[in-house]
Amino acid sequence: MRIETAKKIYIFSPGLRIWHWVNFLTIITLFATGLYIGRAFFLGPTGVEATYAYGEGLTMGLIRKVHFIAGYVLLASFIFRLLIALFSKRDRLVLPTLWRRDYWVGLKEITLKYILLMRDDEGHEYIRNACARTVYPLVYLAILFMIITGFGMYGMSNPSGFWASLFGWIVWFLGGEFSTHMWHHWVAWLIIIFAVLHVYFVVREEAIKKNGELSSMFNGYKFFKGKPVDLEDIE
Amino acid sequence: METFWEAFKRHGVSRRDFIKFATTITGMMGLAPSMVPTVVRAMETKPRVPVIWIHGLECTCCSESFIRSATPLASDVVLSMISLEYDDTLSAAAGEPLEEHRKKIMKEYWGNYILAVEGNPPLGEDGMYCIVAGKPFLEHLKESAEGAKAIIAWGSCASWGCVQAAKPNPTTAVPVDKVITNKPIIKVPGCPPIAEVMTGVVMYMVLFDRIPPLDSQGRPKMFYGNRIHDTCYRRAFFNAGQFVERFDDDAARKGWCLYKMGCRGPTTYNQCGSIRWYNGLSYPIQAGHGCIGCAEKDFWDNGPFYERLTNIPVPKQEADADRVGAVAVATAVGGAIVHGVASKLRNSGKKEG
Repeated sequence: MRIETAKKIYIFSPGLRIWHWVNFLTIITLFATGLYIGRAFFLGPTGVEATYAYGEGLTMGLIRKVHFIAGYVLLASFIFRLLIALFSKRDRLVLPTLWRRDYWVGLKEITLKYILLMRDDEGHEYIRNACARTVYPLVYLAILFMIITGFGMYGMSNPSGFWASLFGWIVWFLGGEFSTHMWHHWVAWLIIIFAVLHVYFVVREEAIKKNGELSSMFNGYKFFKGKPVDLEDIE
Repeated sequence: METFWEAFKRHGVSRRDFIKFATTITGMMGLAPSMVPTVVRAMETKPRVPVIWIHGLECTCCSESFIRSATPLASDVVLSMISLEYDDTLSAAAGEPLEEHRKKIMKEYWGNYILAVEGNPPLGEDGMYCIVAGKPFLEHLKESAEGAKAIIAWGSCASWGCVQAAKPNPTTAVPVDKVITNKPIIKVPGCPPIAEVMTGVVMYMVLFDRIPPLDSQGRPKMFYGNRIHDTCYRRAFFNAGQFVERFDDDAARKGWCLYKMGCRGPTTYNQCGSIRWYNGLSYPIQAGHGCIGCAEKDFWDNGPFYERLTNIPVPKQEADADRVGAVAVATAVGGAIVHGVASKLRNSGKKEG
């Protein structure tokens, strides 16, 4: 049996890991409650006067309240994510390095690997592969879009209030409140599709390379055979 | 022109009734009770304002609504508060003498009259889809707007385009603010707008000699600040999760929330929930039918009216966002499994070379 030497590299800061799992919990909560708000597939307590329904079971009012609280948490964690990127180099891996040759080489290699024309142990090693560098900014944009449309609609119950003046414009930009509801709904599904693919590619990476991809979001470390091409991005 | 107070005296209205009237309309305009003296003062001093009311591509439902205003009575507004000089639907005169009168009034009160526009101009075929007084309405509108102090865009037609501008908009009908860009325009959307909202806007403009505070969409804030959902008397049923699921079910008889029947109350800004219709008698939701969102832009294109989520055009399927989303996620999961197995096979064994 050949023993391979592996280099242990510290990639994910504690702040980023906490943010990732907070984000996971809020997005799951927001999606589940949001689905009910968009399509109320079960009725609340029906045997009582509406006034007393709160104590009797799951109501639309409670589900919306959970949705709004999770929305506030999502916003706070998003701001936190931007702040840690200001202070730490390894938290700034999200933008595609379009101006660098290694990005394009990496994009070609990862595409060939994903369409199975290239083995995963061939080619260069990356701290953050080009596909992730391309897709993550879009996910951040999608989350930002959900925050703006969400708080826009939330705030319009008081059109002169803080949230309406901050994000109310999006409602008219998207052509009215009804369209804003629909956009909010569609992009929610896009984020869930991303989540499915995200989990799949992480499991795939772990299963094929056994490089600690799966545990890296808990302990921060990943294993590399050689020196990753974009090591300078975090050190 | 005589003032309102003079016009009231001429009609034999007592001072007491006059003050009562001033107090009522202060409330109707959404102003604080402390504004009553200001309103009284304005009614004693401000002359009546000449109004030219023109009709384009429309159904006249705005006029129908307006003449049913109860507080104040539309007749009071038309006969005592404003000086309605031209309205080709309401006036007894017709034809050339009426058109001559419009031109005379425009010249006489140049820069001081209010132009009320009901309906909108179609731009297609040089505006030939709507002819008023032998000319395209487009020209009629531009000519009348020239000397106006401000323009009131009555209804969803003049404000957003409404049904004639719904896809595919065969006549290229456009809202008034696409054609007239150099005048202040007050949008009073609704199909039709609530009568008291219409008279409220007119009164505000003539009494204070300025346009009411508008939101970013050009609608008077005091009438279009709230969603119907946020003022709806059935809101408690929404919060409790008590929904009507069919128009003939028990919940419908109990008067529960119409959210699942496609009610557009949550996305529509209007006063139906508070001022209501026919002197506060009722409004669509109170009558048991969901709101169709008639005061909102492009409400005809956001169908179907009885569905909460709009359809996504999928060939040969009726599909809303949730169905398309679920299929897409299932496809992603299935694809991931297949791809995963293939990846594992591709990467099995030793590295070649």
